[in-house]
Amino acid sequence: MSIIVANGLTHHFGNEPALEGVDLVLDMGEHMAVLGDNGAGKTTLLRILATALRPTAGQLQIAGLDAFRERRRLRHYLGYVAHAPGLYPALSAAENLQFFCDLQDVARSRVQEVLDAVGLKMVAHRRSDQLSRGMQQRLAIGRAILHEPRLLILDEPDASLGPDAADLLMAMMRDKTVVLATHDHALANRLCPRTLVLRHGRSVGTATRLRVVQ
Amino acid sequence: MNPFRVALAVARKDLRSEWRTREVVPALAQFIILALLIGNFGFQIDSRNATTIAPGILWLALVFAGLVAFGRTFAAEREQASLEAMLMTPASPVAIFAGKALAAGALLVICEAVLLPALSILFGTPFSGDVVAAVLLATFGMAALGVLFAAIVARVRARELLLPLLTLPLWIPFVIAGGVAVQSAMGLPGNYQQAIGLLIDFDILFVVLTSLAARFVLDE
Repeated sequence: MSIIVANGLTHHFGNEPALEGVDLVLDMGEHMAVLGDNGAGKTTLLRILATALRPTAGQLQIAGLDAFRERRRLRHYLGYVAHAPGLYPALSAAENLQFFCDLQDVARSRVQEVLDAVGLKMVAHRRSDQLSRGMQQRLAIGRAILHEPRLLILDEPDASLGPDAADLLMAMMRDKTVVLATHDHALANRLCPRTLVLRHGRSVGTATRLRVVQ
Repeated sequence: MNPFRVALAVARKDLRSEWRTREVVPALAQFIILALLIGNFGFQIDSRNATTIAPGILWLALVFAGLVAFGRTFAAEREQASLEAMLMTPASPVAIFAGKALAAGALLVICEAVLLPALSILFGTPFSGDVVAAVLLATFGMAALGVLFAAIVARVRARELLLPLLTLPLWIPFVIAGGVAVQSAMGLPGNYQQAIGLLIDFDILFVVLTSLAARFVLDE
């Protein structure tokens, strides 16, 4: 069953094209990496797939629903790690997650499980502006999996994560459909059997087990 | 999902952040005291004219303190890139907006707790329940409008300039009705009941309108 079906996704910022006619089909449980240089359109594509940005043109269906007309229904279904962690600096790691439990309608008991899963149990009560950049990224990943989504959209989740990034991400991605943008080709190769390469906003090819068009 | 639970969670989060960082309230309280001192020394205050001048100073201080308090509500979320994370949840944008307005309104009420006694001490005006009721009713509607415009301007660069330009014209009804209510509560001519009735009408009108608009402002 196809979870993501995208046809001709296009986005312009003013007159500047960021994404031009990208087609994509992703089946349940598939993991796909999106590769490309800076400005290739990776973040724009991921924001559209996460329903955070409405495309200028094109259609997107997620789990059989129109992604923009039904986006509020889809919010239970997807988890998104954005380019910036987007945490509340004055709140502790646990408080950040508790707040999102209230917004996701998830029991607060889930916070300890998630902190444990992302390796932040020891710093649960430390303010998030006192966490290292890597810990903040772990917390952002924890927030994305708080409601146990079936589809994960991860924009450079490996940023600042350290040597165990692949293991942590692999554990998070288990049994989920995943779209992951990264600059790290080795990580993409390890985590994702499929790859989409973007250049100047256009898809220049897909590959299985990285035979990436350089 | 319970929208009241969401609104309370958002308000609690904002107030907890403010309690820990103390970014807004101390600056606003200082601003209010300075505005009252300038008013006190700038005018020839005596027992005959104090009640005439004090309401004007009160509303000036309140309006400018409100602009600062409401301006920060969404600017901080944008700066720390947390607004998108909040809007990516299934929570209703209207509930999120209500929570932000509740927290910003509460911060202004804290400042009013400094403003009203200080006004009474410096100007010798009566500090009564009627004055407090008029100020609180005006704060309610002003918070709804101020936070809506703060959400609109948060994504533009010149937000500090745009916020007063958009907000002040729509706050005028609150200043007029609130002004009449406070003046009459301080013993000057004016129909207190009528002014309070108008404030309640404005509150209902603007809370409904801003709730309808918030969905589009935050969702798009």
